[in-house]
Amino acid sequence: MGFIAAVNLALLGLLLAVPAVWGDFVTWQLGLYLLYGIAAQGVGLAWGRGGFLPLGNALFFGVAAYVSAMVLNATGGAFLPNLLAMLVCAALLAALAWGLAAAIFQGRTESGPYFSLITLALVLIVAQLAETAQPVTGGFNGYSGYDSIAGLDPYGNLYYLIVGLVVITSFCLMLLEKLPGGLILRGLVSQELRLQTLGFATHRVKAWAFALSAFITALAGGLYASHQGIVTPQATGFVLSSELLIWAAVGGRLHPLGPLVGAVVIGFLSAELRDTYLWWEVLIAFLFLIVVMMAPGGAVEMITRLARKLGWHAPKLTVAPNPAPPARAKAVNGPLTLRGVHVSAGGVHILEGLEFTCPARGFLCVIGPNGAGKTTMLKTITGAMPVERGEIRLGERDITNVPQYRALAHGIGRKMQIPTVFQDLTVDENLQLAALAGRTGPLDYFRVAPLGWQVPELGRLLDQPGVPLADLGPVAAGALPQGHRQMLELCLTLGATPHVVLLDEPTAGMSPEETGLMVRLIRDYQAQTGAFVLVIEHDMALVQSLDADVLVLHQGRRFAEGSFTEVRANPAVTEVYAGGHK
Amino acid sequence: MDQLLLILLNAAWQIAALALLALGLAIVFGLLRILNMAHGEFVMLGAYAHVIAGQLGLPPLTALPICILVVGLVALLIERVVVRHFYSRMFDSLLATWALSILMREIVEMIWGRAYRNVPMPVEGLVQLGGVSYPGYRLIVIFLVIAGFACLWLWYRKSLTGVRIRAVVNNPSLARASGINTSRFSAAAFVTGCVLAGLSGLLLAPMLGVEPSMGLDALIRSFFALVVGGLGTLEGLGIGVAVVGGVQAGLSAALSQTAGYLGVLVLAILFLWRRPDGLYRRR
Repeated sequence: MGFIAAVNLALLGLLLAVPAVWGDFVTWQLGLYLLYGIAAQGVGLAWGRGGFLPLGNALFFGVAAYVSAMVLNATGGAFLPNLLAMLVCAALLAALAWGLAAAIFQGRTESGPYFSLITLALVLIVAQLAETAQPVTGGFNGYSGYDSIAGLDPYGNLYYLIVGLVVITSFCLMLLEKLPGGLILRGLVSQELRLQTLGFATHRVKAWAFALSAFITALAGGLYASHQGIVTPQATGFVLSSELLIWAAVGGRLHPLGPLVGAVVIGFLSAELRDTYLWWEVLIAFLFLIVVMMAPGGAVEMITRLARKLGWHAPKLTVAPNPAPPARAKAVNGPLTLRGVHVSAGGVHILEGLEFTCPARGFLCVIGPNGAGKTTMLKTITGAMPVERGEIRLGERDITNVPQYRALAHGIGRKMQIPTVFQDLTVDENLQLAALAGRTGPLDYFRVAPLGWQVPELGRLLDQPGVPLADLGPVAAGALPQGHRQMLELCLTLGATPHVVLLDEPTAGMSPEETGLMVRLIRDYQAQTGAFVLVIEHDMALVQSLDADVLVLHQGRRFAEGSFTEVRANPAVTEVYAGGHK
Repeated sequence: MDQLLLILLNAAWQIAALALLALGLAIVFGLLRILNMAHGEFVMLGAYAHVIAGQLGLPPLTALPICILVVGLVALLIERVVVRHFYSRMFDSLLATWALSILMREIVEMIWGRAYRNVPMPVEGLVQLGGVSYPGYRLIVIFLVIAGFACLWLWYRKSLTGVRIRAVVNNPSLARASGINTSRFSAAAFVTGCVLAGLSGLLLAPMLGVEPSMGLDALIRSFFALVVGGLGTLEGLGIGVAVVGGVQAGLSAALSQTAGYLGVLVLAILFLWRRPDGLYRRR
């Protein structure tokens, strides 16, 4: 912890020394830029860690500023009531942000333009309201004539309150990075689809990230009212929203301190240069574009990369291994059944009345020519593709069209055809997420211990001779070769000890040795847990070696079923594979 | 009766103006899968063609070639230098074009200042329709929009270029393999979309006025029309424009401008939440 902590403490010391060294005016300026910086930290959190782009965060800043100003006016600036009002206001705005994000992100796995433009529209409307609601907000001239909080002087002691808020938000954000919550956020940005199959409702994860973003931004807005002594519609305008984004980008959205640095540095430079040079604003806009195109991590990312090159590594948090709690999935009380399932996409009928019952435990191999609907079948079982007609049941439960993130709660784990791991995270972090999947309660996101959770089945798997992952802990998963990636994805699939395991070509791209190992691992897992394992495979030797029932799909229907020998002896099956008439 | 005709004319005007604004955005999004956040700034740039023509002492009608030339060149430059790198990267393109929009706004502000400018009507005079007299210029714009959309639809469905475009949209790599220069196609699509945005700015400037920040409103309303109609088809655009334009015109007339705006926003959020594919779904 030493070096990083020393740098942070030195920065804090510098902040505290400013009033004595540079005097009142610089203190006032810095106070303002720090407040902007805190607001930009909120934007940085949403963008860098949530992976979506809020274009209207000044909404929270400005509304909180207006509310604070009004409460200050009503209470004469008394400290505790106003502090309480700030917190309540920020919490209400956070709740609003949560609902908005949850509604927009529900049912989609991208963070595209919708959210950004809705937030942009909101900030424009609120600014318009602030301008037109003259009796309440003072309209264009602003709302003024109130005392600052506890009567603190914006040129003097208020500064320390601002620094206090800076310390709190920065510390909390840095802490979050180290906790399971932060890990899940990074997983979200890296591979949203996989996070859903691990049982995390990603629209809610995003909603929480946006709520926290709004909360932080609103706190800054609350103090802004005291600092400026006047709140104008600009405080909730789209210009400020854009500036928050620029500060976060240039300073660095991936580090909690990045947006602060961006806001303070650009703030001081702008104050010096804005009036002297007409092209200053153009230069800033240009800088923003350059950062977006060439240096997505911003200034702080460059600094940390340089530091890493020089051999200063951020210390890794070591967490003592501890037993993971049991998976929270509902017990499975019967076989997986598909009844008359119809699925189509883009006018093509993929599944046409697919109907079969799986065994309650043991293996089932699914084979069929390309385009038979094998992968689609798995997708519909886990809710990744909507069923048009028919139903899917697991024991007595109807699981037709459950959202994808709910599949794991029903005890269903799926390994995808193209191995899907969290590429930007290390192997260790991938395995940590595997252990978190399906086991976390609300509090676990903010405790360190879950990062050390050990799942017995997973541990057994990793300890098998030949499994390469144990030595690859700090390697980024994106750098793994195909075979290793398949193994890692198997771990992600089995981490929550699912009762129903759906494996889509688990040995594709693997060497014969790796294939043998994979089969051994899967068999071992099945033997330990008594789970039902469905395997889609093209490799007939593997299918034979599993010695299980085989289901043949063709053109979206059940074509044949039986033991491997029976199916192989079936002339119709041979015909389908050899390309005979349809 | 006259009252009703006036309301209908106003709604037609709102819808036509919105269709004009949204067309460029729909083309760039539909063909390139990029949401051009700088769309509004191209509208703004097109409107400034009036200002350029005025400053050069040229007759008002020269604003049209100036608009096409200026907007076209800027769009081409931007496509080659920036946007090209962001095809098929939806999220990054969003950010990059947003950065571009800020840059364009700041440059225009540096050159012409922040001031709001009025642009005189190119066609003065009112047209008598029954008991209602309506500005002739608006009627001309409504007519142009209807004719333009009809031509565009026919061209897209019937022409060989239309087939090529649909091929590229459907499967870029296959189109490339069949001998279509997709890089030039993308550039052409982007420039076309932006020039259409510029032209809409040029045509609507007499009503909207000209100022550096005018693009935002254009962007948001166009986008909402796309959301409600369904992104990526001409038919969807038509439906979306009619619904959004109609709601906004109705609420603005009944309550206030802000209410109209708020109504459209709520509508868009409801659609994103409950009907993310919009009203018109491509089958």
